[in-house]
Amino acid sequence: MSLWKFRLVYQCYKNKEKKMKRIINCRCVVSLFCAVMIMVPSSLALAEPAGKLVMFHAGSLSVPFDAMEKAFEAKYPNVDLQREASGSQAAARKVSELKKPCDIMASADYKVIDKLLIPGYADVNIRFATNQLVLCYTDKSKFAGEVSANKWYEILQRKGVVWGHSDPNLDPCGYRSLMVLQLAEQYYKLPGLYDKILANRPIENVRPKSVELISLLQTGNMDYAWEYLSVAVQHNLKYIILPYEINLGNYKHDGFYAKAVVKVTGKKPGTFMDMKGGSVTYGITIIKDAPNREAAIAFLKYMLDPLGGLKILKDQGQPPFVPCRIPTEEMKAKVPSELQKLVVVKD
Amino acid sequence: MIGIDNVNICLGEFDLRDINLTIEKNEFFILMGPTGAGKTVLLEAIAGLIRVDTGRIAVGGRDVTPLPPEKRGISIVYQDYSLFPHLTVRDNITYGLHFNKINKNEAGKRFDRLVDELDLAHLLHRLPTNLSGGENQRVALARALIVNPQVLLLDEPLSALDPGFREELRKGMKKLHQHTDVTFLMVTHDFSEALSLADRAAVMDKGTIKQVGRMKEIFQKPESTFVADFVGMKNLFAASFHDTKATIDGLEVDLGRSPDNSHGYIAIRPEDIVLSTEKLSSSMRNSFRGKVTDVTDQGLYYEVSITVEGVIFKSLITKSALFDLDMVEGSDICLSFKATAIHTF
Amino acid sequence: MIKKEPFFWITVSCGLVIMAFILIPLIQMLAAPSFSILKETIQDKNVVRSIWLSIYTAGLAALFAFIFGTPLAYILARTSFRGKQLIESIIDLPIVIPHPVVGIAILSVAGKGHWLGQIFNELGIRIMGSVTGIVVVLTFVGLPFYVNAVKNGFESIPPRLENVSRSLGASMFSTFARITFPLAWRSMLIGIIMCSARAISEFGAVVIVAYHPMIAPVLLYERFEAYGLRYSQPVAVWLVSICLILFLVLRILTLRSTERS
Repeated sequence: MSLWKFRLVYQCYKNKEKKMKRIINCRCVVSLFCAVMIMVPSSLALAEPAGKLVMFHAGSLSVPFDAMEKAFEAKYPNVDLQREASGSQAAARKVSELKKPCDIMASADYKVIDKLLIPGYADVNIRFATNQLVLCYTDKSKFAGEVSANKWYEILQRKGVVWGHSDPNLDPCGYRSLMVLQLAEQYYKLPGLYDKILANRPIENVRPKSVELISLLQTGNMDYAWEYLSVAVQHNLKYIILPYEINLGNYKHDGFYAKAVVKVTGKKPGTFMDMKGGSVTYGITIIKDAPNREAAIAFLKYMLDPLGGLKILKDQGQPPFVPCRIPTEEMKAKVPSELQKLVVVKD
Repeated sequence: MIGIDNVNICLGEFDLRDINLTIEKNEFFILMGPTGAGKTVLLEAIAGLIRVDTGRIAVGGRDVTPLPPEKRGISIVYQDYSLFPHLTVRDNITYGLHFNKINKNEAGKRFDRLVDELDLAHLLHRLPTNLSGGENQRVALARALIVNPQVLLLDEPLSALDPGFREELRKGMKKLHQHTDVTFLMVTHDFSEALSLADRAAVMDKGTIKQVGRMKEIFQKPESTFVADFVGMKNLFAASFHDTKATIDGLEVDLGRSPDNSHGYIAIRPEDIVLSTEKLSSSMRNSFRGKVTDVTDQGLYYEVSITVEGVIFKSLITKSALFDLDMVEGSDICLSFKATAIHTF
Repeated sequence: MIKKEPFFWITVSCGLVIMAFILIPLIQMLAAPSFSILKETIQDKNVVRSIWLSIYTAGLAALFAFIFGTPLAYILARTSFRGKQLIESIIDLPIVIPHPVVGIAILSVAGKGHWLGQIFNELGIRIMGSVTGIVVVLTFVGLPFYVNAVKNGFESIPPRLENVSRSLGASMFSTFARITFPLAWRSMLIGIIMCSARAISEFGAVVIVAYHPMIAPVLLYERFEAYGLRYSQPVAVWLVSICLILFLVLRILTLRSTERS
């Protein structure tokens, strides 16, 4: 009798055991599944861009890039985009001379990348936007009521008028301003105009970055300054639009633009190079040995997207190339695969 | 010579209220009072270094209230002498001569006279930092007097010196005053100093003047409890008067005269109280038996407290007198004082 | 303090750490350029011109501080009035404000957008990009150093000395000239040196108001940005050497004055 009871109890126990085992088994499987489900996305997240992303760029790109930074960081919260604005040559020299770590470099003149960074520090040069030069002023400026597309070059010569541009050695806007003046001399057929206008511009009116001229205009310390149209629009300045033949804004006039030549400092101190006039074309590149190449590519993928960064440029008054351009097939081959769809070969 | 009319000065911590004072020409006038009474403030106001809020100050008949210090003809000597540390003794003394148009001869004469009188000839090339306190004081006096001021203000000039020196310099100052026709106005908190130097004096407390008059009067006839206490009248009692008697705490005292008021104070100097073992047959109208309750050694003499029917009297006696009287705490003693020694107010 | 006690050694170690903290970077920078490039640098006209500009603009700033700051320091030392602490805090403001902010503030006032700037324009006074502007900036940043040094100097002279002087017949001006100034000149000198040392090293405020003409720190920065360490270090060496000499002179003078007292 007791044996039977014992067997009953044992059987119950055994049944319970089996149940337990089944439950335990079920639980094991479920947790394993959950773990995998959690790990997979996180491992996918590990593949997402993260960390510091360093960008040196032209001052005139500050405002649109600020908007792009916010959008990009919202998309990839783990990335911290750190930008440094300066004249484009200064930015290039930070990479080439000072060997400062950098992922992306964006220049107001793609030629700066060609001349100072390729081939030692960069392989590709993607041209992404255009711009034109305008003469900016405010209502506090001297002769603000008089100035127009016909009279500007005469007003700039008048004594007491304070006008300036950025340093041609550090900022493409600087040598471009000088080119506009040279082209004006040819276009209006006024020999000696270039020298006469420059005679009224002492060295104190030259600043390293063109955007510094904006605060001088706004506080009334300067009457007229040369800037890009996009920058003038972004800062609500008054400006004079010049004929396309001289404002470096249309590549169709590249032949005429080439008549302007400005000498600027070269790769090493004491050396010089000639910058030939050409339509304003912005270039961007990924630096070789970039510390965060992955994030850099992700940024460019966003920026070169017609609905992403390029749209912001357009809204901010800076006409983009849609799609962005690469000069040769050879260079296109060096473009990272993720960006291939966003560029075409066109010189 | 100095007339101070209804002067009020508000300085926050030190206020002077309703100061009225007249000081005669060539007087040696002393301003007394405890520390914080406002004596230095009054001095600096007379000199023009502090502005008065209301009232008028006149010197030599001239209203100097609107005048800056350099136009008042009043010299000041501070407690720390304030000699110019970057100038020699000679340059310190002759400093004032730059601003007063005096011809060279006259200036030289004054200089020689003061240097001689104050014995400074051997110090002329020294710098003030190396001088003793007494030497400093004499240089400060010479510097102050060479410009022939109408008034010389002295702010506790002897306080910074050793007691031994003080006596000597006190005499020197008295002599100096007699040899010039400058009015001296000196501040001190030491009553015995005032006694030996002053013609007339004023007692100040908490920014007001409590009593003005000849030293003798203040000394013997204080007009308030504060002044009485300040001049060392230690036996100060509230009293009610009737006829020629005063009652203090139940004890009757013979005044020998009838005071005008019915209530007031009486004060007796400790040294006017005579102690004896037996009642003295003398002309002293007041004689009481009491018990010695305290004997305190004051250095040169003893201060003895005697209780007579609950009233405590303080007397001063010499050490030999104490020995003669064979007094200890608790012994019976007889004390007497003249009616004329009692000051009423 | 007893030597060989742990407390003594701890304090000595802290001192050594601070010495090292200051000296190591400076020695590294001073030793880095070769003699030849140092010689080359000082022969560069631009370098000499900018160092000279730095020195004389700092000197002018100290002069203005001396002229206008001395009476102010005297009033602060001798009088007390409601709002005195506020005034003293205002004087210290230039020390607290970030340097670029100083430059921006001065530039905003100097342009035609401000009524004061309009007056300057009418008078033909130019602040932006001029020596005038540089001196304005340097005076702004150097004033507190001068005023505070001289105020301390005046405060250490007992007012009683001036009182006695006046009672003897000297006017306020004579008193100041004969008594106060001879006793305070050393602190004025210290104030001038502190003010100029501060002015010579100013960069952030000046670069906003005037890039050209270039003072030495701006030249240094431009060379660094454009060409890197190799071409900016020698300028730094020359500038630092001059600043060091200034401070040495200050130290010697202070030493002598404390010896005296």
